[in-house]
Amino acid sequence: MTETRMLDQGTTPIRFARGWHCLGLASDFADGKPHAVPGFGGKLVVWQDSEGELNALDGYCRHMGGDLTQGEVKGDTIACPFHDWRWGGDGKCKAIPYARRVPLRARTQRYETTVRNGQLLVWHDPEGSAADHDILPPELPDVMTDKYTPWSWHTKEINGSHCRELIDNVADMAHFYYVHFAFPTSFRNIFDGHTATQFMESKGRPDTSGAGYGDENSTLKSVATYYGPAYMINWLEVDYKGFVTEVILINCHIPTGPETFTLQYGISVRKPEGLDDKTCAYIAERYTESFGEGFLQDVAIWENKVAVQNPLLCEEDGPVYQLRRWYEQFYVDVADVKPEMVDRFEFEVDTTKANEYWHAEVAENLAKRASAEASASADA
Amino acid sequence: MASFVPTSEETLDDLRHYTEDRLVEVACLDCLARVRVKKNSDHQTSVQWTAEARSDCQEFVRRDQRPGGRDVHKPCARLMASIDDAVRAGDVPVGAYDGY
Repeated sequence: MTETRMLDQGTTPIRFARGWHCLGLASDFADGKPHAVPGFGGKLVVWQDSEGELNALDGYCRHMGGDLTQGEVKGDTIACPFHDWRWGGDGKCKAIPYARRVPLRARTQRYETTVRNGQLLVWHDPEGSAADHDILPPELPDVMTDKYTPWSWHTKEINGSHCRELIDNVADMAHFYYVHFAFPTSFRNIFDGHTATQFMESKGRPDTSGAGYGDENSTLKSVATYYGPAYMINWLEVDYKGFVTEVILINCHIPTGPETFTLQYGISVRKPEGLDDKTCAYIAERYTESFGEGFLQDVAIWENKVAVQNPLLCEEDGPVYQLRRWYEQFYVDVADVKPEMVDRFEFEVDTTKANEYWHAEVAENLAKRASAEASASADA
Repeated sequence: MASFVPTSEETLDDLRHYTEDRLVEVACLDCLARVRVKKNSDHQTSVQWTAEARSDCQEFVRRDQRPGGRDVHKPCARLMASIDDAVRAGDVPVGAYDGY
């Protein structure tokens, strides 16, 4: 056996996860037009029918493969631009205007839809099971009312990474210091059933002019739970110089291919009392910007790293193996879900030593900066 | 079939080391729940539950009955106290072996 440790890059799954996936804000689909959403190795067509229901079908017509997303909404159906076959939200072909009758087998792939917290969610399962409404993400009280700012919603294509890279962050304590420029002072994970939660408290680094987590005047209390494989609610309490703001961050994604996914994130801020709407909107935009920058910091890492099936961990790391064991439940048939994938697991990371070393490093960085500034002003 | 397939046997050894090694059984002092515990340091704790223990924990049973509860995720304070007791009694060794 060689002493050199090798990276096992493994093989990525050919299937996409079972569970609820968010396609975006429901209101963005409610204009009577067909919408194209890349997902699950293909493309979905989404439209609103006359009852106001949002429907999602596979984007390609079962007749001759026409692109339904370039079709037209006619009545409650989506009509193919190629031969005008009309498809209903239940997946059945409702009419072929030039035909005597519709073939009995004219049934396409449909995705069950639901709207939660103003967002459109679809159920995806390679085994074709009925949607499980018991495991939907919870409704957020008061969000979408006057008490919170409206969702600020953003979409980003990620190429060259499996979406598991995004999930790994749930258990990754140390990257908050190096990638997001914050001291994670407290860090805990709990995986239980279809949920995976990260509890974190952090404080920005004073030696970086970082955004998001990295503002030195900010301390953060964060609870982030994945409900299934692709939809996370992050409750954040941001204390900025004593001014506390409650922020809700949605972090969700749709896998589009074996190594591509669409990241979506949305932010809603509890309007601080005594502030007018314009100021509240301004605060919400600043948070949206800074957490958006936080995602970009992650993306820069993902785009350049390799997949690793056998991460080598140190004592200060979070439970990556247990997190991936939890995540695996969404990639196997329901019959093959093993107890250890869903059994509750709790892990508290010891952040004491790490923070000791990091504070020393930051003090050194500040001292270097001060002496560089001093010599620069002496030169001037 | 596993979906993320390792290409090396040693990866499976790693998986075992990180998820199974050195877990010690601890019984809750207040209910029937029995969990497996590992402590890599004074401040680090891993708690591996089973479905049986999860349903034995009276605290979780109470919380599960509440609607929409975010606090379902929080640890059970009684179990955590029981673990602290077991650590003080020397039943749970404290310290890591090469990162796990």
